[in-house]
Amino acid sequence: MRDPYSVLGVSSNATDQEIKRAYRELARKYHPDNYANNPLADLAEEKMKEINEAYETIQKQRSGGGGGSYQQSSGGGYGYQQSGQQYGGSGNPTYSRVRNMIQMGDLNGAEQLLREVPQKNGEWYFLMGSIAYRRGWLDEAMQNYNLAVQMDPNNLEYRQALAMMQRGGQAYRPYGGGGMDSLDCCTTMLCLNCLCNGCG
Amino acid sequence: MFGYVRPVREELKCKDFDRYRATYCGLCGTLRQRYGWIAPMFLNFDFTFLALLLCKGETQFPVCRGRCHANPFLKKTMCASNEALVAAADESVILTYWQLKDKVQDSSVWKGIPYRVLCLLLYTAYRKAARQRQAFDLLVQKQLQSLAQLEGENCQSLDRAADTFAVLLQGAAIPREDVGEERAMKELLYHLGRWIYLIDALDDFKQDQKEGNYNPIQQRFSGEPHQEQMAVTLNHSLNLMCSAAQLIDFGCRWAIIENILYLGLPLVQKAVLDGTYQQVKKQKIWRSNL
Repeated sequence: MRDPYSVLGVSSNATDQEIKRAYRELARKYHPDNYANNPLADLAEEKMKEINEAYETIQKQRSGGGGGSYQQSSGGGYGYQQSGQQYGGSGNPTYSRVRNMIQMGDLNGAEQLLREVPQKNGEWYFLMGSIAYRRGWLDEAMQNYNLAVQMDPNNLEYRQALAMMQRGGQAYRPYGGGGMDSLDCCTTMLCLNCLCNGCG
Repeated sequence: MFGYVRPVREELKCKDFDRYRATYCGLCGTLRQRYGWIAPMFLNFDFTFLALLLCKGETQFPVCRGRCHANPFLKKTMCASNEALVAAADESVILTYWQLKDKVQDSSVWKGIPYRVLCLLLYTAYRKAARQRQAFDLLVQKQLQSLAQLEGENCQSLDRAADTFAVLLQGAAIPREDVGEERAMKELLYHLGRWIYLIDALDDFKQDQKEGNYNPIQQRFSGEPHQEQMAVTLNHSLNLMCSAAQLIDFGCRWAIIENILYLGLPLVQKAVLDGTYQQVKKQKIWRSNL
């Protein structure tokens, strides 16, 4: 296990304030919003877990309690939730197979399966867009999401995917961040979160 | 590659600028050592960035002193040759050679003569580099071939055309100790390649239109490029590059890489989109308030 201070990038005699600031910055960097639908989301999640564990360990050490044992985090830090599961799709068995294949990274197989479907509906275009997105074909992904929303304007999943494309994705910005409104909301959440942590 | 990838100098700390220059000189020196006096002439900023990316994440920057290739009376501080510089040097020779070959095929007999001469001059260096990196050499040939095929078909998809160059650049990655970092590096290089290809297409748009050459952006939008849509898709690639870079430990080189990704590339993109890039390049003004 790595030294919790080096995980947060601070020296072992840093003040509580400095540690909190470093933690907050790192949590902002690996925030799930920055890796939504990203093929590297699992790596960011790992980093986030490491940071949360390090922060909790330091807090326990400093409050004189734990003495450096790594316990399972009890939901104190900022974490990733499995968000992929909340949309079930339409229940078409082929489409759910395609979804699974995309999840597993078998993009060619998923595309082949999808091309065999005779009738194209909103979900078809959405899944085609998801395959293109995973490949890094951002322009085609946008076009497909657009068609999906046109065919099925009430579907939240398609609309969210299209909105993400129209924003041009999202990434952590160290230089003050330019024109990213959603970040403000995230930082507020993080600050609140840290405050709660500080009390507990 | 084409020299679009550069740092914003005013925003770099002195030590980071020195490190950037040392990497540039180190790569030049490595090319000189391995391939003689012709190959270093093809060195550009993009390959320097590639070398920076491929380096292991040391916390201490390894330096040595060496003679400058351009001016042998001068001694310069340069990055000590390592695995990453060697890889970047080999790959730059291979890529440059095939791009020259491509230009020979694209131009008429008379206009192609300078490229033929350059190809001939670079041939021995290329042979040696191709022996060292067979897989990359084959990949470059394959990808440029499929790009030529897509051009012949007047491919309407931006992504399919850009994908050829993106996959090519992805192949420039060298193994890293951490499997996760290697994945992130591949993602980063893919979108760097995509971004470079699209920026180049955008930059050449007017000229291609005049000469009637294939241009993916013209095919996609049938006419004038939609600046906004291009900006969105380019920004998206930049965002994905940044997200991937955050997952890799670059050690002491992070400040330079961060500057290039977060400031340098957006600056070039802005200039290319509003059409001022050619002028900027000609006059060599690189101010952040451009």
